[in-house]
Amino acid sequence: MKDPYETLGVERSASPDDVQKAYRRLAKKLHPDLNPGNKEAEERFKEVSAAYGLLSDADKRARYDRGEIDASGAEQPRQRFYKDFASEAEGNPYENYSGFADFADSDDVLSELLRRSARVRARGADVRYHLPIEFLEAVTGATKHLTLPDGNTLDVTIPAGIQNGQVLRLRGKGRPGIGDGKPGDALVEIAIKPHPVFAREGSDVYLDLPVTLSEAVLGARITVPTPTGAVTMTVPKGSNTGTVLRLRGKGVLRRDGSHGDELVRLKVMLPERSDPELEAFATKWEGGKAYDPRRDMKP
Amino acid sequence: MMITKQEFLVRTQIQRETLEAWIQEEWLIPGESAGELTFSDADIARAQLIRDLRSDLGVNDEGVGVILNLVDQVHGLRRVLTEVLRSVRSRA
Repeated sequence: MKDPYETLGVERSASPDDVQKAYRRLAKKLHPDLNPGNKEAEERFKEVSAAYGLLSDADKRARYDRGEIDASGAEQPRQRFYKDFASEAEGNPYENYSGFADFADSDDVLSELLRRSARVRARGADVRYHLPIEFLEAVTGATKHLTLPDGNTLDVTIPAGIQNGQVLRLRGKGRPGIGDGKPGDALVEIAIKPHPVFAREGSDVYLDLPVTLSEAVLGARITVPTPTGAVTMTVPKGSNTGTVLRLRGKGVLRRDGSHGDELVRLKVMLPERSDPELEAFATKWEGGKAYDPRRDMKP
Repeated sequence: MMITKQEFLVRTQIQRETLEAWIQEEWLIPGESAGELTFSDADIARAQLIRDLRSDLGVNDEGVGVILNLVDQVHGLRRVLTEVLRSVRSRA
């Protein structure tokens, strides 16, 4: 049974008047008494009449529009349920494969099978890696090669100034997708190894710098290591253990393009071997007995 | 067969605002053709499922989202199971 709207050649939104007009136009053309001997016209006339019978009745027309009755006016059972469509439709937009993503990922047989199947499509899973890097690589940036469990390598570009624990996302370097699905991402977590002399806090670099007694007392120009190479720095006269000197811009690259500072903490060191001259001096040095470096600790 | 939004509203007997809310929630994902939303038979059946859940089964809106998500997962799993069985049979 054909769609009655199609039979009458009217739009679904056609008014009752339009339906009647369309019917009359067709009926004049197709009426069997006006077309004796034309079997096809008779058939079409029956269809047109049935269609008009349905659409001229507002109640029936509404029920037909809702799909409750078919074009012949017979009651329609409820249309098929959602499950009927869900299980047959290719490319069902609602289908969701997260329910098996974990074991499809860990089981080679299943993932291979699904990969070959054109009907299943899902994005590949993300894979997490842990990549330890040197302190200086984190400061200046580097390219690292990560060897994957399957023997392949992955080039990881470490941007200058990366923070400990930061995660780099390498798009498309995770597990392959299933079917036409996109591959997942590789998530590389960076662990910065400690450095023997430098420490870092945010974008500032800290360094404990030993100086001799004479350098501290008299002041000096000394060479100081920084992550980007040695520089010359002035130790002011009368410096002490714990004096902090700031080397501007010698720290780590910040996101805004500027650099942090290097903070140099001086540590006054006596000579490694005892020195008779120094002992003689300390013995007769009255000023050395006149100050108390532990006065803040007294109860 | 794809139908227009107007016809979808007539067939499913839901209000325009309701339909918009359902699309917003991604309970329904209509297609699009020449700037017009288009709906499939599967969308109609899905709308009826949502209506059944809410009016006949007394599920609230939060619950509908949860149920649809699980239903979609079940269909994903069924599809995979079908593929697996097909493959196993072809090897046997």
